[in-house]
Amino acid sequence: MEELTRLSAAEIARGVKAGSFSAREVAEASLAAIDVREGQIQAFLEVSADLALAAADATDAARAKGEELGLLAGVPVGIKDNMHLLGTHTTCASRMLENYESVFTATCVQRLLDQGATPVGKTNMDEFAFGSTTESSAFTTTKNPWDTTRVPGGSSGGSAAAVAAGEVPLTLGSDTGGSIRQPAAFCGVVGMKPTYGSVSRYGVVAFGSSLDQVGPLARSVEDVALCMRALTCAGRDPLDSTSQEVGVDFTAEVKRPVEGMKVGVIDALMEHEGLTDEVIEGLAHAREALEDQGVQFVTVDLPNIASAIAAYYVIGPSEAFSNLARFDGVRFGYQEPNCATLAEQTALSRAHGFGAEAKRRQMLGAYLLAAGVYDKYYYPAQQVRTLITADYRHAYEFCDAIMLPAAPSVSWRFGEVSDPTQMYASDLFTISNNIAGNGGISVPVGFGSASKMPVAAQLQGPAFADSSLLRLAAALERGIEGAGLFKSNAIATDNSRGGER
Amino acid sequence: MTLTEDDVRGIADYARIALTDEELKEMCAYMNEAIELLEPIRQYDLTGVAPTFHPIGDLSNVMAPDLTNANGRSLDLDDALKNAASSRGRAFRVPSILGEEGGDR
Repeated sequence: MEELTRLSAAEIARGVKAGSFSAREVAEASLAAIDVREGQIQAFLEVSADLALAAADATDAARAKGEELGLLAGVPVGIKDNMHLLGTHTTCASRMLENYESVFTATCVQRLLDQGATPVGKTNMDEFAFGSTTESSAFTTTKNPWDTTRVPGGSSGGSAAAVAAGEVPLTLGSDTGGSIRQPAAFCGVVGMKPTYGSVSRYGVVAFGSSLDQVGPLARSVEDVALCMRALTCAGRDPLDSTSQEVGVDFTAEVKRPVEGMKVGVIDALMEHEGLTDEVIEGLAHAREALEDQGVQFVTVDLPNIASAIAAYYVIGPSEAFSNLARFDGVRFGYQEPNCATLAEQTALSRAHGFGAEAKRRQMLGAYLLAAGVYDKYYYPAQQVRTLITADYRHAYEFCDAIMLPAAPSVSWRFGEVSDPTQMYASDLFTISNNIAGNGGISVPVGFGSASKMPVAAQLQGPAFADSSLLRLAAALERGIEGAGLFKSNAIATDNSRGGER
Repeated sequence: MTLTEDDVRGIADYARIALTDEELKEMCAYMNEAIELLEPIRQYDLTGVAPTFHPIGDLSNVMAPDLTNANGRSLDLDDALKNAASSRGRAFRVPSILGEEGGDR
């Protein structure tokens, strides 16, 4: 059983189709792994064993009848808890939605189910996706599987940790300012934020509507490409007005050679004062690996990237304030009892339902959208977005992708960064991509020499060129010595316990 | 410009988030720090630069025929009320909005 949890999503789908093992066996192995490891890792907020086994049985029954199986036949998947799945709660890791039962299934989740995936549960996150460590979850603290005294990153920390710990081979996360790429980097897995519009957000609880995008986390680039194919092959989703036709078979693209491709580097970013030596070394290593395969490196510049944090912390909180206004305690969510007036009920429900960071972001957004303030920050931030987007467009005239860190350092220890604005500054390398709406992928490239924690490189690309990113990411994975390490399970302790089951 | 606690209290009223006195103090410190982080936005001369409100420029709205349950996705009554803390019959239940005489608490 243990062996099944070491397989990739692609290997599982192939094995289930070939009859080497059943979807039920794979589901049971995943649930058993969760049972053993959750005590340490706490990646999941809810384990949907019944749904998982029913889905797996349906896959096995379809095979028995000779039906064609989907791309993700029998693949156990974890779903970030801001995505609706009928039969589960969707809490956004908030007291506000502690008892919320999904009444429909998000398109992104449905598409995985349509391809035969086995939904094993909902993963932990920063409350309403506000954060970089998953520490702001109202319910539990997810640990980094490589070192449980360290954070898994965030906000999709549960999705990253579940994959790194070998509980599931594949999860969905959402990325508004780096929330897939940064936890993937911290946990030594591959995480992709596709181009804005690639994946439907219908049924995903909104944070920043002009920034949010759903994407996969997995232990290999091949699995990320497979999941991207599953998410997009049914075409655009009419239920999300931002959804676009992608029309690319990502699984074929990853296999193409990269010789002659050009990758840009930004010297000013690599000299950033907060960047650690471990990350600089990791990026140098990644560059060599790609150069060995015929990739040419060029220097490019994004002159306005230094303002990306400021633009993001205007646009993100403003959109969050608008989106989270729906939580008034009436139709759903926490409701303060015994209030005399509706106004009092609303203010107290929001005060007691939301955690500290959710309140901070909304307060900031409320201020920034106020009359008189709007013209000082919100409108200019959208103009700066134009400049940042143009910077990228100009840079991509000279290269196919840009390589940069996913985070300034490896994962830090719990409580090490507690000041909110200091935490915001750590988003520097990921957020400009959300502002421009482009795709990005985080790929493990080694371990820090001092920390022994995973280090990642991030590749960013032009809008709707995600297949080029996957090609380069696959080349990086092939070229890094010992990359296979990231495909084995992070925790050593389960080896001693494996015999008991 | 620095926000005072009174300013922050006003914003909290507008945002419908009740804050205790202690929280108000912390929130005030946070907001002033956060606004400082936004300063680079104000250093630009943005004359003639068009805003980008959205990464995809030419979006059209999603329209459905004006019919009951046109797309087959309407929630049935039980589902619609299932997550409400307080409901009665076919409705969400809320405290009085018209003062003591207006409600039925």
